[in-house]
Amino acid sequence: MSPGSAIAPVTCLGCGCGCDDLTIRVSDGRIAEVAPPCPLARAWFGDGTVPTMVLRAGRPVPLEAALAEAAGLLGAARGRALVLLAPDISTQAYQAALTLADVLRATVDTATSEPAAAGLLAAQRRGRAAATLGEVRNRADVLLFWAVDPAPGYPRYLSRYALEPVGTHVPGGRAGRTVISVAIGADRGPAGADLALALAPEEEIAALSVMRAVALGNTLGELPAPLVPVAQAAARLVKARYAVVVHDAEPGAEPMRDPYRAEGLIALAQALNGPTRAALSSLRAGGNRSGAEAVLTWQTGYPMAVTYRQGFPQYVPASRGLAWAVAGGAAAVLVVGAAASLGAGLNDAAGRTPVVVVGPRASEAPFPARVAIDTGVAGIHEGGTAYRMDDVPLPLRPPLSGARSAAETLAALLAAVRSRGGQA
Amino acid sequence: MSAPDRLRITGGTVYDPANGVDGETRDVCIEGGRIVERLPAGVPTLDAKGMVVMPGGVDIHAHFASSSCNHARRLAPDEHAADPAPAPALSDGAGPPRSGTGGTVPSTFTTGYRYAGLGYTTAFDAAVAPLTARHSHSELDDTPCVDGGFFVLMGNDEYLLRQIEAGERDRARDYAAWLLRATAAYAIKIVNPGGVEAWKTGQRNVTGLDDPIGGRAVTPRAILETLADAANALRLPHPVHIHCNNLGVAGNYTTTLASMETLAGRRAHFTHLQFHCYGGGGGQPWSSAAAPVIEYVNAHPEVSSDVGQVMFGPAMTITADAPVEYLLHKSSGRRWTNIDIELETGCGIVPLTYKDKAAVSALQWAVGLELFLLSADPWRVVLSTDHPNGGSFLSYPALIQLLMDRSVRDEQLKRVNPKLLAGSALADGLAREYTLGEIAIITRAGPARLLGLAHKGHLGAGADADVTIYSRDPDLAKMFSTPRYVIKAGAVIVEEGQLRRAPAGRRLHVAPGYDDAVLRDLRRHFDRYSTVSFENYPVRDVPGEPLAIG
Repeated sequence: MSPGSAIAPVTCLGCGCGCDDLTIRVSDGRIAEVAPPCPLARAWFGDGTVPTMVLRAGRPVPLEAALAEAAGLLGAARGRALVLLAPDISTQAYQAALTLADVLRATVDTATSEPAAAGLLAAQRRGRAAATLGEVRNRADVLLFWAVDPAPGYPRYLSRYALEPVGTHVPGGRAGRTVISVAIGADRGPAGADLALALAPEEEIAALSVMRAVALGNTLGELPAPLVPVAQAAARLVKARYAVVVHDAEPGAEPMRDPYRAEGLIALAQALNGPTRAALSSLRAGGNRSGAEAVLTWQTGYPMAVTYRQGFPQYVPASRGLAWAVAGGAAAVLVVGAAASLGAGLNDAAGRTPVVVVGPRASEAPFPARVAIDTGVAGIHEGGTAYRMDDVPLPLRPPLSGARSAAETLAALLAAVRSRGGQA
Repeated sequence: MSAPDRLRITGGTVYDPANGVDGETRDVCIEGGRIVERLPAGVPTLDAKGMVVMPGGVDIHAHFASSSCNHARRLAPDEHAADPAPAPALSDGAGPPRSGTGGTVPSTFTTGYRYAGLGYTTAFDAAVAPLTARHSHSELDDTPCVDGGFFVLMGNDEYLLRQIEAGERDRARDYAAWLLRATAAYAIKIVNPGGVEAWKTGQRNVTGLDDPIGGRAVTPRAILETLADAANALRLPHPVHIHCNNLGVAGNYTTTLASMETLAGRRAHFTHLQFHCYGGGGGQPWSSAAAPVIEYVNAHPEVSSDVGQVMFGPAMTITADAPVEYLLHKSSGRRWTNIDIELETGCGIVPLTYKDKAAVSALQWAVGLELFLLSADPWRVVLSTDHPNGGSFLSYPALIQLLMDRSVRDEQLKRVNPKLLAGSALADGLAREYTLGEIAIITRAGPARLLGLAHKGHLGAGADADVTIYSRDPDLAKMFSTPRYVIKAGAVIVEEGQLRRAPAGRRLHVAPGYDDAVLRDLRRHFDRYSTVSFENYPVRDVPGEPLAIG
């Protein structure tokens, strides 16, 4: 490593793995090196520089003026405001944002992707059988990768959690694990699987049904040829000591492959707990998205898509927040967190609806904002906690300082709103 | 009424059993958030003439602020939708008043408000996985009005099991102390010792105290002994808090008695005893075995318990006893969540409804009441519903009514399914009716004493000024569900039955000492098997100082 001060162990939010064993070398106030050299960690930390602008209608203003403008816009939209919980901020910042949303009787939503939302809803209907990542590491002797190779999107999932490490009950590491890979169309599993299957997309749900039937011990009739190896793979899962089914709950920006996939996988993992032990490992994106869902749940009872319009939380999962804003329902929008994660999604709304952004790189939002207040990034400039994909909370040990705190800025915005009578 | 620094509560009928006060008309004086002997004339007064004055309620065992609770909340959107909780109209508070939702597992702010509205000012979450302690502290940050903390799960901990297997009981004790500190917890909790680890293996559960766990030379008995001794050696304010093996299984009372006998002579708290007092099994029908268990408790002053009463209606079963939840899922067909938590414990959740026409539910209801009514020492057999497992904490007033009024109890008994009540002491007729003084013991003075909270549960000089004032009402359930005034740390937070203030609660935790030699070995264990760095594991910045130990 190059000279400079080293900070360790640092938690990375580059993906949902939440690896907390990083060493960050800081030199001249910038991040110079990230170890181990994970590509997503490198991209997440960058050199640590973030803009520090405070803008009103695109022009620099003092913070107090921006807060006053934002408070005025949001207060005037009470009952019709939208608060979007974007990624890259701490759990504590989300707590502050929800206080604001409650006071404003706003509608709140997260950056939870549509595939992940489908999984959350399925889990509400059925429950789920899951495990923290350490159980995957310590116990999994048979792993089924369902249409996902974690390597590109979750680079250390295999090396740190699922495949290679020695575990309490898997002393041989990789040699003690059997890997089954199921490709669905172009979505392939990891290389080097012990058993690899390939299915057409239209065969997916039938395959999941067959696997569940095997797990339940049901008698199968004659199967179509493509499903015969599926039943054999299921039989291998049933013989596992501890089976783990891995899937990508957030497969990029592409449309959801099949809305029933999540439910089928949840049902399979549950059924496997009859003959053996099993867990579903749902790969989730980073930036503390799971933290946003956790805070929403403990404060409202619901993990996403909540409206305070009637003076208390109501669940509106069929009407996601961003779509509501784009459709013209919102009178003002507050984006809390990294606006870039929303892409240009607010472009149409921002033309007719005032948008306030408080978060990392707010001044570079890909849509016009009436107020933009740059803050630091959780875990790079700001402490607190963040959640891993398995809902394990981790401390943040920011290697840099000096950037504006998102949590404190939101608290100041709340004070400004309340001082203007934004509270009932 | 504002929040004066000094306040005299005048003319109330005071029940303060810790100080031998049983229904005396006397003043209660408050200054600086504490009870004081006297105040000068002219201080603000609160007229409680004709009312009942007790210390604030203390909930020794509930599930309301944990990662498991949050998983349970997700499982119950229907309950939340049916029980909206608008923000209360507060005159002041630590922040703006917050709305939320109820159901069996309410959202955090609503939980705090509802506890306060019930006259409870202290509550402990009874089961927190160490790995998720950080989460519990965040939930407690958002749970106003109650002082609180949590018990941390150790009975299936990988490192602990290794120390027991190696005969390193001193190191096990040091580890327990380190874990209490690292998580800023209040007490040691054991759930189904060894059974959760067995659940994660092909063994799936243990059934006897001497069953080897996962093929190791470790048994539930050794876990009980090791952790009970650790809690006592560390002079923790609350002894080891035990959820026995075989919860909810017919015939399990023998396991419960064996667990108590194993720890004979040691301080130990056996929780939600009702779920562990069933006869039958082995081809025999379920029956009540409350009598032999409560006889043992009555005769052994080192043993304490909370009842875990079942109340008819909706419940949410949330427990680290994951194998039990799997069986409940299979038998009920209800939704089921299971989370295996690395190196430490598990979590199972199944929503449930206790029906008076269901034979097992009726038996459970009767067993709980028998434990209360056959208890010889209310200081050691205190009230809980194992919220929300046996019913919501909001059902405490209805439970108090059942204990205080035999006619209400008998009426309900007529309506329940009698199939499994043959031989039940309750069915045979138990005339006892709890007095107000005894209610004050099982809901505040007793739990506070069992928790080692010297400043809670009484109204003597120096106590925290947590006071609940009830208007008398012949309808006891109504009386206890709507206190007229609730005072928290000297501030009147409920006035005329309405929540007016919502101060932040105080965090209750301990920080026992340990031999640093454990750290080197522990770090090796973390480096090899944990997915969280050793340095990142302990929680930081927990509000408030730990309680003094000793």
